[in-house]
Amino acid sequence: MPPGPALGGTFAKAHDVLNRLKKLHWLDWLVLAVVLAFFGYIWWKIEGTLNYNWRWHLIPNYILRFHTEREEWFANVLLQGLIATIRISIYASILAVILGTILGIARCAKNLTIRMLARTYLEFLRNIPPVVVIFIFFFFLSQQLITALNIESWAREIARSDNRAVWEFFFGDMRRFPSLISGVIVLALFESAFVGEIVRAGIQSIDRGQREAARSIGMSRTQEMRYIVLPQALHKVMPPMANQFITLIKDSAIISLISVQELTFKTVELVASTRLIFEAWITTAAFYFVICFGLSMLFRRLERRKS
Amino acid sequence: MSITRRFLGAAFGATLAATAALPALAQSTAQDVASASVIETIKERGVIKIGLSLFKPWSMRDLNGELIGFELDVGRQLAEDMGVEVEFVPTSWDGIIPALVSGNFDTIISGMTVTPQRNLTVNFTVPYAYSGMTILANTAMTEGFTLEDYNSSDVTFAARRGATPATVIADMFPEAELLLFDEDGAATQEVLNGNAHATMASEPTPSSEARRYPDVLSVPFNQAFQAGGEGFAVRKGDPDALAFFNSWITAKTNTGWLKERHDYWFRGNDWADQVPE
Repeated sequence: MPPGPALGGTFAKAHDVLNRLKKLHWLDWLVLAVVLAFFGYIWWKIEGTLNYNWRWHLIPNYILRFHTEREEWFANVLLQGLIATIRISIYASILAVILGTILGIARCAKNLTIRMLARTYLEFLRNIPPVVVIFIFFFFLSQQLITALNIESWAREIARSDNRAVWEFFFGDMRRFPSLISGVIVLALFESAFVGEIVRAGIQSIDRGQREAARSIGMSRTQEMRYIVLPQALHKVMPPMANQFITLIKDSAIISLISVQELTFKTVELVASTRLIFEAWITTAAFYFVICFGLSMLFRRLERRKS
Repeated sequence: MSITRRFLGAAFGATLAATAALPALAQSTAQDVASASVIETIKERGVIKIGLSLFKPWSMRDLNGELIGFELDVGRQLAEDMGVEVEFVPTSWDGIIPALVSGNFDTIISGMTVTPQRNLTVNFTVPYAYSGMTILANTAMTEGFTLEDYNSSDVTFAARRGATPATVIADMFPEAELLLFDEDGAATQEVLNGNAHATMASEPTPSSEARRYPDVLSVPFNQAFQAGGEGFAVRKGDPDALAFFNSWITAKTNTGWLKERHDYWFRGNDWADQVPE
């Protein structure tokens, strides 16, 4: 039987890899061996001093588990946390881009008061540790906002109603909605400072001549921003913005401190309940890595396609 | 130049005023929350919100990711007796008191030991549990130790920051060094790795840990050391809530219900198959 095309492809691929391996210099092999030996040594040291029963077999159950009573598969704590992290990151990014764009425009404003206020906000956020910023925003701002708007009882009404499925798809358990929203607000406010700086750099990178030309053909300042500056600026800042989005996903771990039920918080809970310290944290780290690395690959491809 | 400076002053003035006003706003909301009794709010809302931080075997996640434990039994029974639904709000231990004060939930039922320092910020009910702490020690490192030997500057303890065991250790062994961690498992791991001599926790956790690592860990003293007792925490300025919870606890103590639940979670091991060992 002749080999099928798939098998032929595999052969070609294997051949390719072999060819590439042949290209490696003996020094490359040496470096590789040293690196491997180094990690082997570290592992050996850890195995010797770390007194720990590895129980990896328990982890898959905490990602996806077959419920014995309800007889269906369901997302267990780690996957619940991951989904919450993804939700929060998306909403916070959208809000951060909106706020950041406003901030970026304010940083380039003609009016000194506006410029100074934007600057103060930025310097305040840039020079205080995120943990402190998040506590301040949470207790003094988002908490007050939620009380003032009565979001909590509104969310509870939905949690009790019949058409909660749609809401739960977007926001998870509606009983935890206030905490999710305050997490999103806090994270977005924090990240908006950095997005603002990126936008400002983008605006300032637009040639002065273009802006002057816009004014000379009778555009107002708003029109100049809307039609000339911002489209070009936002196009230019796409790469750093994508990078900031990835940073935001990693930063979202901090909001576990204000008890938002995202991945890091769920992991802490799991560790407290089961003592699977290393397995749980390594799994969580892998989750973050997969999302962030996947996104960075995606952005790279999009960029390449554009250019 | 002078215009620039004036604008600068105005901008900073506005920022300062805003910064100063925010804590004041938070303060007034906290007072509003306290001015009406939380019992009325709970009845109106139809839900009691209970803050807790996971702490085996007080409260933990079972294999299905559901919350189980002593606190959960207490909270559910309390809600049933009040005729309302119950909502548990898992909260990180560090922020649990600020979260109560700012109105995130109605009470903390989370094995919180009554201490004068905490009492300055929140009010406590009468104790609903008296957890006995036992010492979990690294066998090789504490060979031949008497209880007095632990109180020495050469001895290192590990415990969760701000939790009852940490208080008890600081109280019983003031000379010993105390390493504080964010979470219970990490403290036990330090003892396992030989970086700390011992830790303390409520039974049956120490015994089950000693069973899992029989070569390394042991429970050297067959004796429980009493902590001050654990109470519900409620916001200041709410005598009605305090009175209600106090009578509830007294009633449940008198009928023996609290003791029976406490024994189930802290003495027995019937629930062991719900959590992986």
